[in-house]
Amino acid sequence: MSRLPASPTQRVDRSKVLSFSYMSEPRQGFEGDTLATALYDQGIRIFSRSFKYHRPRGLYSLDDESSTTMMTVNGIPNVRAESTPLREGMKVMAQNVKGSPEFDLMAVGEKFDGFMPPGFYYKRFHKPYKYWPFFQERLRAAAGLGKILPEFPEDYYENVYFNAEVCVVGGGPAGMAAALAAAESGLRVILLEARPYLGGFYDWRTVKEDGTQPLYERGRELAAQVAKTENIRVFTSTALTGFYANNHLTARQKGLPNDRFVERYMEVRAGSVVVAAGCLERPLIFEHNERPGIMQANTAVRLIRTYGILPGQRAVLAVGHDLGLEAALDLASAGMDVAAVADSRPQGQDESLVAALEKKGITFLPGFTASQANGVKRVSGVALTDLQSGSAKSFNCDILVAMAGLSPNNAPLAMAKAKIVYDPETGYFLAREMPPHVHTAGRIMGLCGGAEIEASGRLAGLRAASESGPDLTVALKEAQEALAGLPGPKGGSTILRSPGPGKKAFVCFDEDVAVKDIGYAAEEGFNTIELSKRYVTAGMGPSQSFLPGVNFPQLLADYLGKEPGSIPATTTRSPFYPTLMATFAGPNHHMSKKTPLDASQKDLGGIFRVVGVWERARYFSPDLDTTEEVKAVRTGVGMIDVSTLGKFRLHGPDSLKALQRMYVSDMSKMVKGKLKYSAMCNEDGCVIDDGVATKIGENDYYFTTATARAGQTVEWFRYHTRHDGWDFNLVNMTDGLGAINVAGPKSREVLAKVTDEDVSNEAVPYMAYREIKLKGGIPARLLRVGFVGEMGFELHVPSSWTQAAWDLLWEAGQEFGVKPFALEAQACLRLDKGHAIIGTDTELRLNLHDLGLSFLLKQDKDIDYTVGVAALNLAEKQEGRLKAVGFKTDVMKALPMDGSIIVNDGEIRGHVTSCRLSYALQRTVGLAFVEDKYSAEGSKLEIWHEGLESKEPLIATVTKPPFYDPKGDRLKM
Amino acid sequence: MSFTITCPICGKRNIYEFRFGGEDRGPRPFKNEANPEEWYDYIHARSNPAGVQPEMWFHRDGCGVWFAIERDTTTNQEVEKEGGDS
Repeated sequence: MSRLPASPTQRVDRSKVLSFSYMSEPRQGFEGDTLATALYDQGIRIFSRSFKYHRPRGLYSLDDESSTTMMTVNGIPNVRAESTPLREGMKVMAQNVKGSPEFDLMAVGEKFDGFMPPGFYYKRFHKPYKYWPFFQERLRAAAGLGKILPEFPEDYYENVYFNAEVCVVGGGPAGMAAALAAAESGLRVILLEARPYLGGFYDWRTVKEDGTQPLYERGRELAAQVAKTENIRVFTSTALTGFYANNHLTARQKGLPNDRFVERYMEVRAGSVVVAAGCLERPLIFEHNERPGIMQANTAVRLIRTYGILPGQRAVLAVGHDLGLEAALDLASAGMDVAAVADSRPQGQDESLVAALEKKGITFLPGFTASQANGVKRVSGVALTDLQSGSAKSFNCDILVAMAGLSPNNAPLAMAKAKIVYDPETGYFLAREMPPHVHTAGRIMGLCGGAEIEASGRLAGLRAASESGPDLTVALKEAQEALAGLPGPKGGSTILRSPGPGKKAFVCFDEDVAVKDIGYAAEEGFNTIELSKRYVTAGMGPSQSFLPGVNFPQLLADYLGKEPGSIPATTTRSPFYPTLMATFAGPNHHMSKKTPLDASQKDLGGIFRVVGVWERARYFSPDLDTTEEVKAVRTGVGMIDVSTLGKFRLHGPDSLKALQRMYVSDMSKMVKGKLKYSAMCNEDGCVIDDGVATKIGENDYYFTTATARAGQTVEWFRYHTRHDGWDFNLVNMTDGLGAINVAGPKSREVLAKVTDEDVSNEAVPYMAYREIKLKGGIPARLLRVGFVGEMGFELHVPSSWTQAAWDLLWEAGQEFGVKPFALEAQACLRLDKGHAIIGTDTELRLNLHDLGLSFLLKQDKDIDYTVGVAALNLAEKQEGRLKAVGFKTDVMKALPMDGSIIVNDGEIRGHVTSCRLSYALQRTVGLAFVEDKYSAEGSKLEIWHEGLESKEPLIATVTKPPFYDPKGDRLKM
Repeated sequence: MSFTITCPICGKRNIYEFRFGGEDRGPRPFKNEANPEEWYDYIHARSNPAGVQPEMWFHRDGCGVWFAIERDTTTNQEVEKEGGDS
C-alpha cells in the first residue's frame, strides 16, 4: 500500500487496517475503502472480463454504474467491488474468467467478434436443428457471469420500513440544504445518500467558489448541521432503488464494517419527496473506450482525494465539461504528469480553469476529443482528434480520463412519472412536470454552481415541508427570490464521439454493445429505441441504463439522422441498483407458533411438522408407524395435544344473532352445559368450518373452530355482520387456552383421578360441557366429544396451566398404560368414523348437501338470513353435483394415496381425499368425492394412483360411514 | 401495491396492514331465498370501475375493523373524506 500523504478530504482511516484475500492471496486495505479502491491500491488494474468478448475491464466508475467491478465475494457472485465497503476477512474471487483476469483463456472469443453481430446466437445455431443440443451445451457453459453456490453463506439481512413527512433523495449540497430547510418546521425528515458519507460532489473538491471556503469544507459544514438536527434521519450507503406511486420509495442500504447487517432493504412512505440525485458522468464514446486505465473524471479525482491513491503516472483527459478541466488540475497537483487535456467544446470553458491549465503548462486542446485508445490490458496511449479538421495527435499515458459531459440522474424522476424533456440549451434531459408532492433540487435541474445548488435545495425543502401543513409563505418567497438571482441551468458539451466506424466503441460495457451494433440493428429494422435496446441488449445488463443512459438513444438518433434529444431514454425500472434476494427475504422468517405443550411433546418423542401456522407433533414413533398410538386409544387411553383448535368466546346482547348468521343450525336451541355440533358455510353454501358451540351464560357463548379457521374467524364474523351494527364481542382465545384430548375406554378413569368433581357418565354425558377444577385448582373447560370414535374428554386449560394439566393426566394415566398420540394417529382414528376434516376431505366445490350434512341446516330461525343458505336453497335440487362418500377397498389392505383419482367409465369421476388402514377394522377405509351417479352405497369406484404395481385399478365400494361403531355406543359409555 | 388506507380507528396506515374486501355492495338485497340472477349479481359480480370505487377493507394487522372507503382504482388514491384525519 503506497498511499498519498493524508489530507483533510480523505475518507480512509489509516489506523484501521482490514485484511482480505483476492484470488486466494492475502491483501490489505483501510476502513473507509471500498473493495475496489483497496484492490486498486494493491495494484489490481484488470477487475473483470467482459460478458461477450472477455475484454479486460478496469475501474471505470465508483458509484455502482457499471458491472466492470463485479466479483464473487464470500461466495456471493456479482458483487460490485466499487460500491461494496471493504470488510475484514472478505474472500474475493474474480469471475467470468478461465484462469485469472490478467490471463483469461476465454478472451480468444474476441478474435471472432466480426462474426458476432447482434442476434448472432439466435441466427446461427438453430439450423440444422439436430446440432442445436451440441451448441446449446457449449453456449450455456460460456454464458452468464458469476456462479451461484448452493450453500448460501449465513449472514444477516434485514428489512426496515419508515414514514416521514419529507424524504430527500441524495445527500449532496442540494439534498442537505433541502433536508435542513424541511426540518426547520419540526417535521420528520429522512435523507438517503448512496455513498457512505454526505457531501455529494463537494466532498472531494478543493475549489473555493465563494473565494474563501473550499467546497469540501462547506460540504462537511452542511453535514455537521444535518447531523445535529434531531428530526433528520440520515441513511448513508443507501441507494434509492425504486420510486412508486404516492411517494413510496424503496432503497438498498449496504452495511459498513460496524453494521450488523450485510445489506438491508428499506421502504419509505413520504408525504413529499425532494429528488436531489445529482448528475452522472456521461461516457465518451471512442474506439476501445473501456480499456483498463480509462476512467471517469470523478473516479480519478476521488481515488486521489477520497482514498489517497494515485491512479497512475501520466494522464490524458478527454472531457466535455468544466469539471473535467478541474479534474486535470487536481491530477496535476496530486503529482501526476498531465500530458494533454482535450475538450470537445471549441470554446465556452470557464476561463479561469483554462488559465490555470496554461499556468501549469498543460497542453490544452479545445475542439478535440479522444478517437482511439491504445493498449490492451492497460491503456498505453490515446489519439486525440480535432473535431473540425479530423487531424489527430497521439499521446502516451497510463490513465485516460474520459467524460463526454454530464447527464442528470433522472431514474427516480422517470419512475415517479415526471415528464422529462430534452433541453437543447443545456443538452440535458430535464424534468419539467412533476407529479404531486415531488420536487427537484440541485444538479439534477442542470444547475452548476454551489450557490444555486444550495438555494434550490432550500427552496425544494421548504416546498416539501409546506405540503405537510406549516405555513411557510414568507420563507418560500425569500427562498424563491434568492434562487432567482443566481445562474440557471448550464450544460457541458453535447458531443458524444468523434466520427468513425465505432467497431469497438462501446456504448454498453455490460453487454459489449458497440456503436456499430446499433447501426446493424437499425438496418435489420430494429430502429426504434425499445426494439433496438432488446435486440442489441444495450442497457440490459446488470447495471441497466446507467452508462448507456442517454448515449444509446442519441447514437440511434444520430444513425437515423434525427435531432439530438428526439429519442427519449428507455423506460427506467426498479431496482435501480441490484439488491440481493437475501436482502428482500430479510431475516429468518420461520415464525410458526408452538403450543403450550411443545416441550413435553418433544420429550415424549414427538416428530414435528409445520402445519399451517403451527408446529405440531405428527407421530410418536421414529418409524412413522401409528399402530401403537391408535391401539392405545381403541383399547386403553391416549392423550393428544389439541391446543391449536380455534377457541372463541362470543358475548354481548347481539351474540346470538351473530351465531345465527354464521352457523347453519338453529343456535337459539343451545342450552347451558350441552355442546352443539354445527357448521359454517360461505356465501356459496360450501362448508368452511365445523365445530361445537355452547352457551356459557346470558348472551355468552363458547365455540370451537378447526385449527385452520382460527385465524380468520373474527374477520369472518365481522365481515358478515358489517352492515348490522350489532353489539357483540368476539374474543379469540385460541392462544390463551391450551387443549388436551384424553380419549379411549379408560379415559374417564384417568380423568376421575385428577379431579374431585363427578365425571361419571350421568354427570358428564356425551356432548356435555362443564367448567371444572382439576387438582391444584387448575380451571378447565371440559368438553365431552368423540372425534376419534371413543369416549373422550377435551380439556381447555389456560395456556400457563396446560403443561401442569398434562402432567397430572399423564401421571394418572400410567396405571392404564396411557400413550401420547399425534396428528397422524388422530387422522386414522377419525377416519374409522368417517369424520371429514374440513379443507382436507372437503373443498370449495362441496356444499353442505354434498357432504351429507343437510340435517344441520335449519331455515326458519329468528334471523333474516344465514350466510350460505340462499345458495344452499338454490343448489338443493341441482343435479350432477359431486358428493362426498366413504369407501372400503375390496382388497383388505390396499392403500391408495390421498389424492388418487377415481376413473370410472373412462373418465375421471372424483378423487380420494383421505385413506388409511383401519386398525380396528383391519382393512382400508377412506373418504372420497365423486360424481353423483357413482355415490350410491355399493357403487364400485376404480382408484388409480402413482406407483400402482398392477395395470388394474384398485376397486373400492362406496360404504356409508361410520365404518366403526356405527351406533356410537362407544362414545356414550 | 403502494398506497395508504385510512382506518376509521387507527388513522392512515400502510396498505400492507389491510386485507382487501372487494367492492362495497352494501347490505344484502335478499334473505335466505333469492333468484339465481340476484344471488349471482350480489355475491360474485363486481363493477370493476376505472375510477372511484367504494370498497371494503379489513384492518388485519391492526384493530380488526371492517370499514368502507372510496378509492380511485386508476391512481390508488383514497378519496379523502371531509373532516377525515389524514
